[in-house]
Amino acid sequence: MLSVEGLEVWFDVPGGELHAVQGVAFDLFPGERMGLVGESGCGKTTTILALMGLLPPSASVAGRVLLDGEDVLAKGEDSVSPHRWRDVAMVFQGAMNAFNPVKTVGSQIVEPMELHGVASGRAARNQAAELLEMVGISGSRADRYPHEFSGGMRQRAAIAMALACSPKVLLADEPTTALDVMVQAQILELLVRLTDDLGLAMILVTHDLPVVAQVCGRAAVMYAGKVAESGPIETLFHDPRHPYTRMLFQATPDLHGDDEVASIPGAPPRLDREVLGCPFHPRCDSAFSRCPVEEPRLREVGDNHTAACHLNDVPMQVAQ
Amino acid sequence: MDYIVKRTAFAIVTVFVAITLNFVLFRLLPGNAVSGLRCQHCTKQFRESIVKQYGLDKPKLQQYVIYVERLAHGDLGTSIADNRPVWDDIRTPLVNTLPMIVVGTVISIIIGIISGVVAAWRRGTAADSANLWTALAFYAMPTQWIALLVIFYIAIPLGLPASGIESNTLGILSTPSTWAVFSDRVSHLFLPALTLGVGLYGEYSLVVRSSMLETLGEDYVLTARAKGMRNWTIVWKHALRNAMLPLVTLIALSLGSIVAGAIVVEDVFSYPGIGLATIDAISKRDYPVLQGIFLILTMSVIVANYIADLVYFKLDPRVTE
Ligand SMILES: Nc1ncnc2c1ncn2[C@@H]1O[C@H](COP(=O)(O)OP(=O)(O)O)[C@@H](O)[C@H]1O
Ligand SMILES: [Mg+2]
Repeated sequence: MLSVEGLEVWFDVPGGELHAVQGVAFDLFPGERMGLVGESGCGKTTTILALMGLLPPSASVAGRVLLDGEDVLAKGEDSVSPHRWRDVAMVFQGAMNAFNPVKTVGSQIVEPMELHGVASGRAARNQAAELLEMVGISGSRADRYPHEFSGGMRQRAAIAMALACSPKVLLADEPTTALDVMVQAQILELLVRLTDDLGLAMILVTHDLPVVAQVCGRAAVMYAGKVAESGPIETLFHDPRHPYTRMLFQATPDLHGDDEVASIPGAPPRLDREVLGCPFHPRCDSAFSRCPVEEPRLREVGDNHTAACHLNDVPMQVAQ
Repeated sequence: MDYIVKRTAFAIVTVFVAITLNFVLFRLLPGNAVSGLRCQHCTKQFRESIVKQYGLDKPKLQQYVIYVERLAHGDLGTSIADNRPVWDDIRTPLVNTLPMIVVGTVISIIIGIISGVVAAWRRGTAADSANLWTALAFYAMPTQWIALLVIFYIAIPLGLPASGIESNTLGILSTPSTWAVFSDRVSHLFLPALTLGVGLYGEYSLVVRSSMLETLGEDYVLTARAKGMRNWTIVWKHALRNAMLPLVTLIALSLGSIVAGAIVVEDVFSYPGIGLATIDAISKRDYPVLQGIFLILTMSVIVANYIADLVYFKLDPRVTE
């Protein structure tokens, strides 16, 4: 249904260009929940924003984004804006501030309905109240301002707002990052319930692979602007074909706190200069002679399972 | 509600502080109502009688009580220069000045908002830097210079009157129509108001630009774009109101300089408003009139500040205490 082909994004930065997304491709099927995982700075948000043409003017984009076969980015704003929110809605990173502080929550839920002609006036307001009820907020609070909501409630309201035009796809970028653990669990549960009930497809973006494991059936792991590995979540967990995936699973956050117990040493490479070989090799525990010189290509390693790692070319080293 | 009560109380207290300061200030000034008198018959007895007439021989505290009591009755005292009630002397200039200041401020707000929003939207472009330099230049330029530029580049080419408040020739031959009088007034008011507005807008433009840039980077603006709203709709419906908040504060804070600017402008354009009346009263050492003008000006600044507080309250639902 949603199909991304060869997506590339460059940002103009002082002193050159920053190649933030480098040939990302994936498909999202109706009703499916897919995870997009990776450490911060590896291009997840940029990918998500590029899908609906929401990057700032300093970005140049190449590649295609097909929505039911239609290339939505082909004619710029004109071809993409009818699809925004109507077909693809979003819950943003830091969605706590997704609401304008000087307007009521209800009016901001109504706004996309009126914009896309889904509903208007009293009907739209009733619908907004129903949506709030659906995410567990009393409909009478539609007349309240965002600052009168707690963080968790604001996030629920942001989800209600995303559902305003009954979209087909929900893009959720780190929807729980700023929340405490209890609320995080509730929000994830809510997302799972709503997507199931409404048959909504979702891309859940997070740096937290275990969260994806709870919520999604499939995941794409991103590193340095590229997909490193993608496949069904069980396969990724039991049979990772990229050391980065394996190490991400090992870097499971401490259940009692929020610091990561065994985070991967080192940091992702800078994207404003050319990276030679495999971008992960300086941090990889299984790197060998080929890694610094030759870039591994993403290729099929199993059923629905792709990975970009030279280890997969060396049969005896694949088995962990 | 709480906020309004607090603001109202604060305004009332400020009014009393202003009245008291106004009283004290004029007793601290060197000289008094009679020290400026230079005339043949200004004998010692004559001076003493004047001092008595104005109650200047009484203890200061008693003078203060009398002053407040009279104010409560709307009595601002009597002019030394022409022996008329102060209020009668300053009413006409006040009525002349008020529309000029209002139009000037509105001009500055409109130019400030439009140029600030465009600069923010086109940040980094030639339009942005052009606006930055123009705004800075007008902000830094003395009001008299702006007045000269306005006279030279606008008054002369357009043939607009650059002095006074009405044409001398109006009504000589026949009684002019209301419309003729009105448009004559407006044409006289336009240049002083424009000068005032141009002198003020620079600061507003820069503040609108920076608060607009900040607002455009907010998550709710990204959300609005993701909803499919077009750029100018976003500016109009989401960004403008938030970006306006710092401007409201700034305008309230700059009311004093608006009044100061108005005095200079009236001097340049010989516009018979409160500014000219002030200059006139100073040269005549007409203390009661000066005191009355000061009081009226402080009161209007307090009232305008109070209105700004209410506007802020209306614009920002987060303001509660
Ligand atoms: N507006 C921008 N201008 C320049 N560089 C950007 C911009 N947004 C993101 N980047 C860069 O692109 C890379 C990917 O960022 P991002 O997509 O936010 O990663 P993630 O969401 O995975 O944390 C980072 O190196 C970041 O610095
Ligand atoms: Mg991100």
